[in-house]
Amino acid sequence: MPVRQLPETVVNRIAAGEVVERPASVVKELVENALDAGASRIDVFTDGGGRRRIGITDDGGGMTKADLALAVERHATSKLDDEDLLSIRTLGFRGEALPSIGSVARLSITTRHAGEPHAWALSVEGGAKSPLAPAALSHGTRVEVSDLFYATPARLKFLKTDRTEAEAIREVVRRLAMARPDVAFTLAGEERAPVTWTAALPGAAGRLTRLGDILGADFRKSAIEVGAERDGVMVEGLAGAPSLTRANALGQYLFVNGRPVRDKLIVGAVRAAYADYLPRDRHPVLALFVTLDPREVDANVHPAKTEVRFRDAGLVRALIVHALKDGLAREGKRSAAASVDGATLASLRPGFVPAPRAVDWDWRRSPAAPPISFTAAPSPAMAGFAERAQPRFDIGAPSADVRSVAPPPVDEQERPLGAARTQIHGTYIVSQTRDGLVIIDQHAAHERLVYEKLKASMEQNGVERQMLLIPEIVELDEATVERLLSRAAELDRFGLAIESFGPGAVAVREVPALLGKSNAGAMLRDLAEHMAEWDEALPLERRLLHVAATMACHGSVRAGRVLKPEEMNALLREMEATPNSGQCNHGRPTYVELTLADIEKLFGRR
Amino acid sequence: MKVTVERAQLLKSLGHVHRVVERRNTIPILGNVLVRAEQGRLSLKATDLDLEVTETLPAEAAQPGATTVPAHMFYDIVRKLPDGSQIVLESDGERAVLAIRAGRSRFTLQTLPESDFPDLAAGEMGHAFALPAADVKRLIDRTQFAISTEETRYYLNGIYLHSADSAGTATLRAVATDGHRLAQVELPLPSGAAGMPGVIVPRKTVGEVQRLIEDSEISIGIELSTNKIRFTIGNVVLTSKLIDGTFPDYGRVIPQNNDKELVVDKHEFEAAVDRVSTISSERGRAVKLALSAGKLVLTVTNPDSGSATEELEVEYASDALDIGFNSRYLLDIAAQIEGEAAVLKLADPGSPTLIHDRDAKGALYVLMPMRV
Repeated sequence: MPVRQLPETVVNRIAAGEVVERPASVVKELVENALDAGASRIDVFTDGGGRRRIGITDDGGGMTKADLALAVERHATSKLDDEDLLSIRTLGFRGEALPSIGSVARLSITTRHAGEPHAWALSVEGGAKSPLAPAALSHGTRVEVSDLFYATPARLKFLKTDRTEAEAIREVVRRLAMARPDVAFTLAGEERAPVTWTAALPGAAGRLTRLGDILGADFRKSAIEVGAERDGVMVEGLAGAPSLTRANALGQYLFVNGRPVRDKLIVGAVRAAYADYLPRDRHPVLALFVTLDPREVDANVHPAKTEVRFRDAGLVRALIVHALKDGLAREGKRSAAASVDGATLASLRPGFVPAPRAVDWDWRRSPAAPPISFTAAPSPAMAGFAERAQPRFDIGAPSADVRSVAPPPVDEQERPLGAARTQIHGTYIVSQTRDGLVIIDQHAAHERLVYEKLKASMEQNGVERQMLLIPEIVELDEATVERLLSRAAELDRFGLAIESFGPGAVAVREVPALLGKSNAGAMLRDLAEHMAEWDEALPLERRLLHVAATMACHGSVRAGRVLKPEEMNALLREMEATPNSGQCNHGRPTYVELTLADIEKLFGRR
Repeated sequence: MKVTVERAQLLKSLGHVHRVVERRNTIPILGNVLVRAEQGRLSLKATDLDLEVTETLPAEAAQPGATTVPAHMFYDIVRKLPDGSQIVLESDGERAVLAIRAGRSRFTLQTLPESDFPDLAAGEMGHAFALPAADVKRLIDRTQFAISTEETRYYLNGIYLHSADSAGTATLRAVATDGHRLAQVELPLPSGAAGMPGVIVPRKTVGEVQRLIEDSEISIGIELSTNKIRFTIGNVVLTSKLIDGTFPDYGRVIPQNNDKELVVDKHEFEAAVDRVSTISSERGRAVKLALSAGKLVLTVTNPDSGSATEELEVEYASDALDIGFNSRYLLDIAAQIEGEAAVLKLADPGSPTLIHDRDAKGALYVLMPMRV
């Protein structure tokens, strides 16, 4: 077959394959267009998982007649004025969305620009443009896409169920809505109850409101504001407290210059920042907004623009880690679990049902009867195999503790963790605050305090290292060796001294004494793999901290140890003075708080 | 502070006081021992806020003073120093350290200020009397086993020490019960104890006093008020808080009219119960006592493993009776009998049994049967 130029419709369909992958990508492109047009309100309507119909209405600037005619042509855009691909300030810029959609679906656009006497409408079907026609619309733009992929049946076959596609659309709109709290969004359609996110204040002020709306009340309550800035790169956002976790990293949102992106960078950085608070398999919920000079970032990596490249990825990563660590240390004591959520409250209601009064009820067998000494009523049920119960004397039933307890000093009650009132089951301290009560897990809390001390001394005194009699030679591939050696200084800080041993091998000269006789080769490989993926030496640090955590566990007050009031209060005061004392080093909360309001709710007083 | 002390003496004293110190503490100074040098002596003090032990030993105090050091570490250091060495303790207030020197060894321990150390001993005691160590030991040894560990009945977590009238004579009486069994031991009331309040001495305190009595020839000073008790045992002074509660009216529990009297040889009975209870896999299985004229048959049946039976010749003249007891409890009480024979006074299989020594008076035990 001779080489020939493909017809334009085919070219467009091929290009469309990259931009318009599934209905959600259509929604993303169109909502981004609306945002670029300066809309303050965007309504999204989908039907049949977006396959049958997608309608996006905005109140943005609209297009003039001439613009509209050009908009559906390939590589036509209003967003890239000086052909400078390096400083992109809008969400879109490639000029591909509308023609791509138009080539695989029935597209109709109605738009009214302020400079036009009336609105204009245009439709494109399978790449064929209709003539412009006058239409009725007061302002903004309405884009309707129906029968998506009718022109490319192959793509149609690969779509998932309507439900899945609808969920993907929802996720896309959520992400965009998170980035722009100042824009009101409505998401409606056949497969869902309509959701409206009303416009909030722009920027950081409205962020908490919008993120709370989207990520849930738990997040709103526990979110910690984080921020850091260096060399023109600014990281800000809200991080969920370590007690609010998910099993996967899907609850982590990164926005670069307002553009929602998926980047491994954030997963690695978040993992490093939360290493101290969470078990390995739990992931926090957070949304981070990175703002930097558009020249420092390349959004043009992929037509769908979900990936970005930073010129200085290390700086952005360091900044994210720094901002998160800072925020967590500052607010670490306050955890989401510190106050009890509604579901937990509901489960606090009494679980037992009083037995119905028997027909042959006799007061002599009821609790109201006076106790009769020395005669335990013979129980026929006991006569069988069961071990006989040991009857007891009448020496009084277990009673409330009437030992005199001095009322806690008022100033202790004013403290965040209150004044210790009692210890229950030898394990939990109950303390009274000015407006509620706090239950503290004594072992978890003390463990954290001991751990923080150990960590501080490790940082101050450095890691003790064991020199090896015979350096261990670990053979690795050349790229891995390079990667390890480039971080030799950092590893050295943690007590692991390595040096080059020809191409494809490193010699381990010193290992951290704390790790004992662990296999250096396996550890290096593990490290190298992690570095390749996340660009950090976390596993080594994690191992050291794990040892410290085990030591802390053994060195702290156990459950079951009876604490005196003075000791309990000392523990509470120490917790207040220690950052991160809200979680034990396994990420569990060290205390929960029940406010008076919660208690009143339990009793139906509210 | 600078003081020189003999290692063996210091080790013995530290051995006494460091036991009180908990290994893990939320208040750092509670992990420390207070070291005070005075004219010609050195005193050591440790506390857990409920209990305080102070011991004084002879020493050459070149410069008086006081400080506190981590108790367990101090004890371990002294323990590992060579026997027969002279230990020099010297504190440096500026650097907050205590130097420990012996021979060529030198240690420095970080100290915490002495002024922060809690003082339990303060306050007037009100009542004071003295008892021979052997008597104190007897009061404790014979009742300790019955102390309850149930936290909800915290007022049973100790020995109830009080003055009582026993058939016209004033006695000092110790009682403990866990609801299943009760132990009561009494002595003639020592002078100075008249009018003393009834007090509940906590289990831990009882155990410490028991351990501190090494020489039963000496006399032990006891002082008490309504909320504290102090034992002076040689050069050791132990002060403890008391359990703040009301001991139940135990008198109601002691049966007065049990008419069936069984007399057993203490050693034979103890050995037989021990033998038949082998068959029960877990503690606390019932041993059945089948009584008939002059004969006692002990039986344990364990549905999982089998059964055991043993016959004893006993003095018994009343009607035949079957009664069951927790074998563990029977053994505990049998172990308290000092003489050759024990008397069990029974009423019926569902009522408490009274047990005492046939020859010696002053101690009695009550045991609740199990249903068999």
